[in-house]
Amino acid sequence: MSVVLAVLWKDLVTEWRRRDRVVAMAVFAFLVVLVLHFALPARDADEARRLAPGLLWVAYVFAGLLGLDRAFAIELENEALSGLALAPADRGWLFLGKAAANFVILGAVQAATAVVFALAFGVELAPVAGGLALVVALGSFGLCAVGTLFGAIAVRTRYREVMLPLLLLPLLVPVLLGAVSATAGLLETGTLRWPSIQLLLVTDAVFGIVSFLSFEYVLDE
Amino acid sequence: MGSTARAAGDAAVDRLAARLRAPTGWLLAGLTGAWLVAVVRAPEDAVQGVIQKILYVHPPLAFAAYLGFGLTAVGGALYLWRGDDAWDRLARSAAEVGVLFCTLMLVTGPIWARGTWGRWWSWDLRLTLTLLLWFVYLAYLLLRSFTEGSERAARFAAVYGIAGLAVIPLNYFAIDLAGGRAIHPENLGSGSLGAGMGLPFLMGVLATLAAFVHLLVRRVEVEGLRTRLAERLAAERDRAGHEEGGRWAM
Repeated sequence: MSVVLAVLWKDLVTEWRRRDRVVAMAVFAFLVVLVLHFALPARDADEARRLAPGLLWVAYVFAGLLGLDRAFAIELENEALSGLALAPADRGWLFLGKAAANFVILGAVQAATAVVFALAFGVELAPVAGGLALVVALGSFGLCAVGTLFGAIAVRTRYREVMLPLLLLPLLVPVLLGAVSATAGLLETGTLRWPSIQLLLVTDAVFGIVSFLSFEYVLDE
Repeated sequence: MGSTARAAGDAAVDRLAARLRAPTGWLLAGLTGAWLVAVVRAPEDAVQGVIQKILYVHPPLAFAAYLGFGLTAVGGALYLWRGDDAWDRLARSAAEVGVLFCTLMLVTGPIWARGTWGRWWSWDLRLTLTLLLWFVYLAYLLLRSFTEGSERAARFAAVYGIAGLAVIPLNYFAIDLAGGRAIHPENLGSGSLGAGMGLPFLMGVLATLAAFVHLLVRRVEVEGLRTRLAERLAAERDRAGHEEGGRWAM
């Protein structure tokens, strides 16, 4: 457990001192919102509410891809990744630390993006903020689980910026569909749609277990 | 596992592949002939017309594609567990052959759909699942070609192959939840084929499976040759390096 906290703390402190990843992710997410606003202009409040869940999650996933790539790219400097691999601890715990840091950083970006999104699309997110936070947390968990695993893989390949989305997007369909459907339920009725939450919970469990167990094989000796 | 044991496992796979090459080839040729005759002689569907005969190609291709993806995941898991290169060769070969069959399935399906449903594509549950699966295994092959070092590529690909298999049931529920219309014909129950259609369908399945096995065997062989070529080139480079070093020392 102390390994998880140590890796989490290391990543958060590094990020706090540089603040480049979170700024890049947030600016990128805002830009995606802006582009979507121009590409799919909503004529009235009803249409905005109908489009909002999908567009919001597109911005989240794109920002996530950007951040997950950086999470391991910074470990390449000074061969820090090899140092991490040599740590005398089960690699599953290293994975949890990295994934938790990704989760926290992505969460900060998501909160800021939600505010910008609500303003740009004129969607009232404040009344459902609690439910939305839960849905976003469940969606991000799955995204960060497989994202951390395949971020560690992609960073060791050529064209790593291209490789990560190619690997991740086909796997993210259950996360995306569950999160979009749950968000849509929240915006329409103000309540959580149980089947969507169920899908997110099961996906999180499967992705969490698979990533925890196979992280062992993605770090080089 | 030591390198001698690994080499022995590789040699055994090479021997097995060489022994299977001719019989599977002859089996494929014979079954293809029988299948062609059976399909030509099969009755024409009263409603759909001749386009219904895609049934003798399309579902068998699907079976072969799923078999390929299953073998990829199993081979990858066994490679991670046992560390034997032979399992990785199986996984890699099965992925390539599986992608080939899946592509053919994704080509033949729309041709039938255009004739029967009136449009090329529908976001039906099974179609969407298969399309996603195709993307997963394309990414698998890209990952292999973008990763330097065969041992590392094998490890990475094995992890991705397993995740790709684990995501199938999740995708199933996700697409179902999103309200993917199910308009794909149901699985063939017993007796759902019209009179005279059972035999050509069976021949189609057998011929496609024979094609799958034959291609897999050939692919595994090629993989072995490639490994040996790489080893020989590396050895020659080493020797050249030593000679060069010797000359400089003088």
